[in-house]
Amino acid sequence: MSDELDRIRREMHAVLQPPGVRPDDSLQITRRTFIHRSLLFGAASVGQTFAWWPLLNTIDVAHAAEAPFKFAWISDTHLYERSLNTRFVDKVVRAVQEVQAMDPPADFLIFGGDLAQLGKIEELELGVELLKDLKIKKYYIPGEHDWYLDMGKKWGELFGQPNWTFDHKGVRFIGLDTVSRGPDYWTAKKMTPEERMGHMATLDGTVAGAWAGVGRDQLDWMSKTLAEWGTDKPVVIFSHNPLYEYYPPWNFWVRDWREVNDVLKPYTKVTNIHGHVHQVLYNEIGRMRSIGMLATSWPWPYAPEGVPKLTKPMIRVDPGDPFDGVGWGKWSVSANDEVETEYIMWGRKEVFVQSPEDHDKSIPEVLRPRIADNQYPWANP
Amino acid sequence: MINTSTFLCILRRSTVAGAVIAAAVVVGPASANKDPVTPKQLKLYQEAFMEEVRKGDLLFHGDAAMAEQLGVKLSTTGWACAMCHPMASDTHPHAFPKFQQSMAKFATLRDMINWCIEKPNQGEKIDPESEAMKALEAYITWSNTGSVLVPGKY
Ligand SMILES: [Fe+2]
Ligand SMILES: [Fe+2]
Repeated sequence: MSDELDRIRREMHAVLQPPGVRPDDSLQITRRTFIHRSLLFGAASVGQTFAWWPLLNTIDVAHAAEAPFKFAWISDTHLYERSLNTRFVDKVVRAVQEVQAMDPPADFLIFGGDLAQLGKIEELELGVELLKDLKIKKYYIPGEHDWYLDMGKKWGELFGQPNWTFDHKGVRFIGLDTVSRGPDYWTAKKMTPEERMGHMATLDGTVAGAWAGVGRDQLDWMSKTLAEWGTDKPVVIFSHNPLYEYYPPWNFWVRDWREVNDVLKPYTKVTNIHGHVHQVLYNEIGRMRSIGMLATSWPWPYAPEGVPKLTKPMIRVDPGDPFDGVGWGKWSVSANDEVETEYIMWGRKEVFVQSPEDHDKSIPEVLRPRIADNQYPWANP
Repeated sequence: MINTSTFLCILRRSTVAGAVIAAAVVVGPASANKDPVTPKQLKLYQEAFMEEVRKGDLLFHGDAAMAEQLGVKLSTTGWACAMCHPMASDTHPHAFPKFQQSMAKFATLRDMINWCIEKPNQGEKIDPESEAMKALEAYITWSNTGSVLVPGKY
């Protein structure tokens, strides 16, 4: 697997990061966001892994917004029924209260997917009920946990079309559905909807395969959506999965990242904001910048390989504190063309690693994929 | 591996003592009762191990049937081990035993497994000698096959 990842990564680098191609100059991260690695890490070995890191909460981006505004993001709440797990409920309540209390208020909220844990009607409805307390405009994109019990039926009834676009104060916003186009892994194996959902709900499962993708139809829709939008005008794309390849075994990617890049190539001010990874991530792919957001439910560890070199990792989490390593995010878009990204990680003053030991990969590990979910009765006939 | 005929060939030109040793190598003393391991045995040992890995994998991923079979309740919150530790990442079996901050004590991997069961998962602590514990340990260790020992590392 590692060799294969290596090969894909080299290809991605060649295709998406040709020499000299970076996000538009006006999207460049300003000097004050840099802290030289020698100030942070004594150990060269770890320092070299993360060559340099922009501090996400002070990114300055030229966005040509017509007026200053803010928006907020909540995702990956993974709600169970209330009777089973009240902790996850408490965290959604807290995020909702905090977004509601933003001053000046956010113009809108993006809900970035994985509202439910097992796609159940009760879980999705609980999510709607909890988010009802938030009075601003809300936009939803689906996560895989919302979808694979009834193939998006309930989600669609509650939230409508999973992909959408709107313009707000000079910025074009696009919401993508990166979850519904998975390969059919259930029909041949005669799975019940619950079994199908169970495989999908296991991040390191091996049965659901490369389910994350945008799909030709949606790519065409996106090109059409962008066709009359100036190539130098700001675009923000929301997706559940990152729009590049980070770690396919956990679907920390979309499988058609090459095609996504083809569509976005002409546009010089594209920012992708995504969920699913439950962790701080930053990457630049061609001219697009990509930002990974926190979950409210629990943090995923960084993948054993493939963390983008541009990511300044988030701090290693205290497993005894359910409010550590999780939270939500907000953006301020100012009239003088700056976008400030802020991670709200509950209970942490420092979101980012301060020393090698703060990083969850401070202990090196080499892992192999699980086996039990691919054996009888799920083995290929 | 030196085959017997070559070995004897060398010894023929050697001392009497050498010849005695050669005899011991080839047939062994009359009282000897040990046999070399056979491929069949190796296969059995490996299968016994992989069966525990499989059970541990299922427990680790919240499989209700396996938990029932082994008589354990690892979680009451819906949470499973793999939700924080996909592919057993961040379990670090190769760093134990070590001082574990969360328990404020010098701890083994089994201590840590029980801590996770009791705290985040709000399940019921399991007997450190139970099959469930050994299966979890087998899965976690197997998954980290390529990891290099770093005992005590924070
Ligand atoms: Fe998620
Ligand atoms: Fe997800």
